[in-house]
Amino acid sequence: MNSDAQAVTSPVAEVPLSRRFGVVWWAALAVSGALVLLLGYTLLSVSILGVGVWGVNIPFVWGFDLINYAWWIGIANGASLFAAILVLRRHDLRTAVNRFSEGVALFAVICAGIFPIFHLGRPWLFYWTFPYPATFQVWPQFRSTLTWDFWAISTHVIVTSLLWYVGLIPDLATLRDRARRRTSQQIYGILALGWRGSVRHWAYHQRAYRLVAILVLPLILIMQSTVAFEFAVTLVPDWHETRQPLHFVATGLAQGLSIVLLVAVLLRWGLRLRRYIDEGDIDLLGRLVLASSLVSGYLYLDEFVSALLADRMAQEATLSRMSGDYAGLYWTAIVYSIVIPQLFWFRAARQSTIAGVFVGLSIGVGIWFDRFSIIVGGLQIDYLPSIWRTYSPTLLETGLFLGTIGLFSTLLLLFARFLPVVSMFETRHDEHREKSS
Amino acid sequence: MAQLFTPAATTLFRVVIVLMGLGIVAIGVTAYIWARSDSTWNVGKPAPQPVPFRHDLHSGSLRIDCRYCHSTVERAADAGMPSAQTCMSCHSQVWVGASVLDPVRTSFTLGQPIEWASVHRLPDYTYFHHAAHVTKGVACETCHGRIDQMPKTVKTQTLSMGWCLDCHRDPVPSLRPREAVFAMGYEAHGDDLPNDVRAFYREASRRLTSCNTCHR
Repeated sequence: MNSDAQAVTSPVAEVPLSRRFGVVWWAALAVSGALVLLLGYTLLSVSILGVGVWGVNIPFVWGFDLINYAWWIGIANGASLFAAILVLRRHDLRTAVNRFSEGVALFAVICAGIFPIFHLGRPWLFYWTFPYPATFQVWPQFRSTLTWDFWAISTHVIVTSLLWYVGLIPDLATLRDRARRRTSQQIYGILALGWRGSVRHWAYHQRAYRLVAILVLPLILIMQSTVAFEFAVTLVPDWHETRQPLHFVATGLAQGLSIVLLVAVLLRWGLRLRRYIDEGDIDLLGRLVLASSLVSGYLYLDEFVSALLADRMAQEATLSRMSGDYAGLYWTAIVYSIVIPQLFWFRAARQSTIAGVFVGLSIGVGIWFDRFSIIVGGLQIDYLPSIWRTYSPTLLETGLFLGTIGLFSTLLLLFARFLPVVSMFETRHDEHREKSS
Repeated sequence: MAQLFTPAATTLFRVVIVLMGLGIVAIGVTAYIWARSDSTWNVGKPAPQPVPFRHDLHSGSLRIDCRYCHSTVERAADAGMPSAQTCMSCHSQVWVGASVLDPVRTSFTLGQPIEWASVHRLPDYTYFHHAAHVTKGVACETCHGRIDQMPKTVKTQTLSMGWCLDCHRDPVPSLRPREAVFAMGYEAHGDDLPNDVRAFYREASRRLTSCNTCHR
């Protein structure tokens, strides 16, 4: 490796190799760690006492568990779709934000997976949804959304972790070369799979990386549609619509992009990576967030128009979601995911760290309220008036949700410390190209 | 810088990958065999009982009918366990001083049930009705085995869901004529059933394999 390349990548590589972890990092890890403990507590209580400790009951068999599942899947999908498109288009932005997107996607899938498993009530029997030769001699019910969840989540975990790991291999080799202690050299060395940086290695690597990225594209659409079909295939008037997958894919993309923006802005500020994630990158990301939020806005409008054209029951159900007991959720979703992102029409807002954090969080919150509105508000009007009632989460459900946020940020914090958050090999590549041109 | 890995490391790495693949297959095969082995289902394993009751003596040598003690087997979901009064109907005359029967006499005096350990316990999400089986030609022996030859009561079948379904999917070969239900050592083959009964149960497997037949 020549000295130029070393100069370019050393700040990025030094973060994971440094022994001094800042106070802010430790404080953030402490808070996240506490939330992970809370997650453990809530999961243990639901496993021991059963799903009765949650506020779910007929007709609300899906409460916080599915709201948060759909929400985390949205983040995961948006982030990995974004990463895959950047890899495939060889876009400049990929250098800066790809690795976060992949990391965000992977950690979000892990958080998402927790909910449907514990929603089973007997989570230790989750493998019953897998078609294996069981002693009870019955196949899983393939028409059940539970089995769809199983295939969707496991496929998603595999493809997302492949994308993340394949992209990481050359950087793991760099870390191996930079590591000071022999044990860390060997650990990074094994993870780098004997990478020596030969031309043949690079050629194979590019092919593998793009191949996995191509796999992501249909997967994301299928995955988000699977979540949407879980609603669409039921007979609940508000859910039984063919537009459901489109709604989930589009709003999920906005949500994924906003979280990528949030993490990018925070890491840029926290790890002082202004040189690697430059103003142009952040500006482009801001524009994408704005565009995806406009698409979500269009879909909300479509929802309203479809409701007007639908049969009386579906119409009543959707309108009740907008004006009934849970109307607050619907309008909060609109304000947070559509109205607030309009700030990004201004260049100054796109460049500002505070505005980036604000809008990133706002879309995330908005889509969460949208999922809440669909899952709970959508059940307000059903064919049987006897089941018209309300749902509110218990403390344990809220704790579980906060816990997964803690798990997500813990993983992200550890990732920021132990692995290069900005792709070093891509950065080097870009710098060389600039010099030669 | 010294070399991190020797040239053999690559070979070792490949060998480890292959071994991991084989290991996963081996875990699958082991789990498959383990889940079907008799010991996993406690087949042939007696439970510690308060009284060393011997089915081989009572049912085998003395030829007492099953229903003398399990009196509700033709009428209720539960086959019924005998009260101490039932035991004392004979044991007030025979083995009067035997110390092994102390729990029975205590139970009789205090009016408290004897705490037998269950050998054939089904999970509580499974609904099983003894009378529904016994009155339709499923014999005691079909599920409980040669109980008349057991010094200590043990399971002879796994009682797994797959085992239940084996019969529910095709009941006819296991059914006996009514007079043979309480017999031991009878060979069921379905041919001795009336034709209309056989025709009825060939049609019944759809109902019998519906989830809510057993999980209510």
